[in-house]
Amino acid sequence: MNKKGVIISVIVVVIVAGIAASYSSSPSETVNLDMGRTHGTISTAMGSPILGDPSAAITIVEFGDYQCEQCYAWFHETKPAIVQDYIDTGKANLVFVDLAFLGRDSPKAAQASYCAEDQGMYWEYHDILYNLQESIDNGWANSERLKAFAFSLDLDMELFESCLDSEKYSKRVQYNIQQARKNGVNGTPGFFIVGPDGQQQISGAQPFSVFKQIMDSMT
Amino acid sequence: MVQTIKLVYSNFKYVVLASTIFVSMMIGLLILSEYIFLEPYVVAHLPSGSELGFVLIVVLSALSALVLPMNIFRINILKISKQKMGGGVFGSIIGTVAGACSCGPVGFAVISTFGSVGATATAFLTNYEIPIRIIAIAILTVTYFTTVKSLKVECNLNSCP
Repeated sequence: MNKKGVIISVIVVVIVAGIAASYSSSPSETVNLDMGRTHGTISTAMGSPILGDPSAAITIVEFGDYQCEQCYAWFHETKPAIVQDYIDTGKANLVFVDLAFLGRDSPKAAQASYCAEDQGMYWEYHDILYNLQESIDNGWANSERLKAFAFSLDLDMELFESCLDSEKYSKRVQYNIQQARKNGVNGTPGFFIVGPDGQQQISGAQPFSVFKQIMDSMT
Repeated sequence: MVQTIKLVYSNFKYVVLASTIFVSMMIGLLILSEYIFLEPYVVAHLPSGSELGFVLIVVLSALSALVLPMNIFRINILKISKQKMGGGVFGSIIGTVAGACSCGPVGFAVISTFGSVGATATAFLTNYEIPIRIIAIAILTVTYFTTVKSLKVECNLNSCP
């Protein structure tokens, strides 16, 4: 084989190897984001998957931080009743958008939730974070613990670790924080109840009665 | 002790001042700590597990309302140096900032303005909200007793009205 033939062969091998490598990465790492997804004035394209019926008349957009104790309170005090009465019945759905600002571990925890989404376990991971929340930046949400949570959900650890360590979803979390600022959310948890005829903002971990009153007035 | 309280609060002006401090401080702290919401509806909410925090806010407001007017009385009537008011003001401020800088608008503004330093400070104030409020109550309690003692001595010397 002449020298030219060797070079062409090498180039072909490299191209084939590149294509093979791109296809060999697991399809579970690919997330089909609907970049046009909006709810009211909020772009939720980079937020969580929708919890509940995507065609529900009402969408609750929650801006939260996994280290926020008020978000923890809302998760345990108010959310169960909303899920039971509105989400499970198809009247409403919920999207979580990160406003990860409270500590250095907050953005990392948010990124980890999307790494879990790669493997179809976003909401399970989200629930683990809010069930095991401790004090801000005391180490409960550092990289090692985030990986341990993934392990407890039986996720593919190689995929999860590569996703978390590479900060694959860093920009996604930053985009969500920008959405919060753009929509005037200045604390967590912050909510928008988006109905057929408009949207209503709720600030703080307010009780179920407030959400019920607003959502009932929209239907 | 009762006589000293009677001495200060026999003047209606100080009763009004104490009531104003108590109501404004308690409502302010309950709003900041998200026990009361003003929008979209006025609603009070006490999540389970946060009862201690609520009680500490009430005690803190009551002690501040008791101690601050007594110190103002000393300054107005007995012409004592304003520096002697330090303990009461200090205790009230410490108690107020504890927990006020968490997830809410105050915390977000502080962190947005001061970056990582603000984040560290708010994290500290949030994580140690209950111990800081207890320390503030202790400071106010000590200030109360020292103020009562001082008033007794100063009134003997200056013959209070």
